[in-house]
Amino acid sequence: MPAYKPDKEKVTMIKPLGRSIVSRIVKFAYMIEGSDQYQKLKNFTYDLLENDRYRYKRWFDFFMIFIILSSVLILVVEVKKPVPQWMDDYDLYFVTTIFIVEYLARMWVYSDMHKIVIRLSEESHYLHHPLQLHKVLGVLIRDKWSYVVSPAALIDLIAILPSYRQIRILRILVLFRAFKMLRYARSLSSFLFILKSKKFELVTLLSLTAFFVFIAGIMLYVFEGDGDNPNISNLFDAFYWALVTISTVGYGDISPVTPEGRVVSMLIIMTGVGLIAFMTSIIVSSFSERLVELREHRVVQEIGKKSGVIVICGFGIMGRKVAKGLAREGKELIILERDEEVAQKAHSSGYRSISADATQSSIFEEIGIESRISHVLCLTSDDEQNAFIAINVKSLNPDVTVTVRCSDKEIADKLRYAGINHVIIPEEITALMSVAHAGEPVAFEALRSIIAYKGENHIDEVEIERGSMLEHTLIGSLKTEIFRLIILGIVRLDEEGEKLFLFNPDDTTTLQAGDDLVVMGRPAAIAHFKQRIQ
Amino acid sequence: MLHEEHKKDVILFGYGKFGRHMYTHLSASGHHVKLATMVDSNYEEAVEDRIRDIKRFNPKHNDSIRMLGINPSKHLLYCAMDHTSNNLFLVLSLRELYHDAIIVAISNSDENTRKLKFAGADTIIDIYEASAQHLVTNLTKPAVAEAISTIIFEKNDLRIAEIILASDTILEGKHAAEIDFYGKGLILVAIIDKELGDELIYLSKGIDHKFDAGDTLVLAGRVDDIITFKNELAGEEFQATKKGVDR
Repeated sequence: MPAYKPDKEKVTMIKPLGRSIVSRIVKFAYMIEGSDQYQKLKNFTYDLLENDRYRYKRWFDFFMIFIILSSVLILVVEVKKPVPQWMDDYDLYFVTTIFIVEYLARMWVYSDMHKIVIRLSEESHYLHHPLQLHKVLGVLIRDKWSYVVSPAALIDLIAILPSYRQIRILRILVLFRAFKMLRYARSLSSFLFILKSKKFELVTLLSLTAFFVFIAGIMLYVFEGDGDNPNISNLFDAFYWALVTISTVGYGDISPVTPEGRVVSMLIIMTGVGLIAFMTSIIVSSFSERLVELREHRVVQEIGKKSGVIVICGFGIMGRKVAKGLAREGKELIILERDEEVAQKAHSSGYRSISADATQSSIFEEIGIESRISHVLCLTSDDEQNAFIAINVKSLNPDVTVTVRCSDKEIADKLRYAGINHVIIPEEITALMSVAHAGEPVAFEALRSIIAYKGENHIDEVEIERGSMLEHTLIGSLKTEIFRLIILGIVRLDEEGEKLFLFNPDDTTTLQAGDDLVVMGRPAAIAHFKQRIQ
Repeated sequence: MLHEEHKKDVILFGYGKFGRHMYTHLSASGHHVKLATMVDSNYEEAVEDRIRDIKRFNPKHNDSIRMLGINPSKHLLYCAMDHTSNNLFLVLSLRELYHDAIIVAISNSDENTRKLKFAGADTIIDIYEASAQHLVTNLTKPAVAEAISTIIFEKNDLRIAEIILASDTILEGKHAAEIDFYGKGLILVAIIDKELGDELIYLSKGIDHKFDAGDTLVLAGRVDDIITFKNELAGEEFQATKKGVDR
């Protein structure tokens, strides 16, 4: 037999062809990597499907829930009577198309194929080893396959099938459309999340139940399956009876008729009660263990839809007072408190609170340090802790305004040097208040009342916007006495952008766009004045 | 620095984290501060800080307090120890010994404020209230915070002062609208009008008050303008102009 000789011409043709395809794939991968539009589209798709903080995801979730419910409803109604053609078309074409597009989109955003190609290409280049087409395809297919076989993706895939009406059995798969709801209804997914945490206990319990059902079913079949009990004609009937009995449901359609069978019943009923109690306790304890975690997770999700969030680190006396004042002004707050009990207290007081160590970056990243948080207030009683938190925040996002409480001027100087925006020293302010009091108790009370917004007299600011009727207006022509307002001064930015307070400006001072007029008066009068100038 | 007549004699109890700041600011403002401390380490620190007018005391012994030489008609008594329990006991002792003294105490909560008031303190300074409120104002009304900061918390010549009208001032019998406070660089913020009671009434309430002897005016302005105004009150250069009415 002559030895096999490969066709040299064919081999040399295939190799260049394979290399050519690989080089095109690599070129394409680099092109995608450099395309802003592609990245934007992918980010948008990812946000819509996966990012709970994305503001439009909520609406997308509602839309998908509606699609799922309508589809399930049509398939259920169809069991008894035919549905109108348009409903059939809606379900067959529209819903199925949406599901297919969603499935493919999820697969797309699951991973970046072009990055894998680029990585493989760079590796092969580094090792001076030509990149093989089969290797590239193998890695890419394995990557996407890991998505395809994930439980959520399998549910998505199976949920598409009921639309294929020719095979009636596929209709049972409509159930999987309901399972899809888990992706969009967070409370359902939270429940599954809790059950997952008790996987070991629940699997043990289910195994135990299965074992008892198996034993009891066989025993009853042995005692009554020979014709003594007309309702037990096969082993399935016996297992069905055992399961119905052990679950304490007891339909009564099958019941033992022999003394032996009844003894088995008594044993299995007692076991069933124990198992049910056991399962209840597992689920309840799991809920109580995870309740705080779930609540905090929900806090992050809720705040994820908002911006301009103020984070207060520390819920001591100062933190409580600041939180109260900011909540009164309608600000969005999150309290971060290391002590779980104190965090719970903050929650009981009606604040969004998370028990977390604010010196760690993870909690700020979770809340959204890049886009959601506008201010961070470090108000614990420990200077070092506050400094640690402040530096942590600034290192994550220098644009976030950070205010730190400290007890000493020297520390304050260090913090300012580190770029902290505001430093507040309660000891210092208390001392200044004591100076203000010295010998002038009436002036002190007036001052305290103004600062604390107590009483009927408030101090407020009126912003002079560009194009507003107050721009280029003389102070003397404001006629604030009509509103019984006192003009304390104007806050204006100087040439270097620093704020400057012009106390008691004279009548010839002209208001400029960007000025803030600081007035004192009754809240109603201030509101009326603001309304009039608008 | 304050004008001589505004300088007060203060006895400051405590040289802890609050007392130290209070001593620094009261002294820097020109007040005569006598320091009293019950904690040895604080005493030593005060000595290290070159404070001369300092004495040890024991709040549980009346003799020890008497030894401080308190004159209730002259001295303002500031209780600024770090622990509220110490301040509370001290307020009790001081009030028992000096019925007419003006006692100021610091507190860290509303609850302790109530207790200190009950014990006899005239004024309570909540150590967190003003700071917390200033922080909130800074976030919600930054221009207001800037104004408050400039008037109250920064070192400059702006201040809020009170003037008790004597019986012989030329303001007597005149109405607020007749006086050109604005022309004198001052803002009349509030008044205790004896004819209407002891309540502090803000001018924004819209009442045109008639000034009488015993009324207390709360004015915002620069220190020089306030002193000039006080001097004018007793002198003949005082001019009431119509301009005040226009504003």
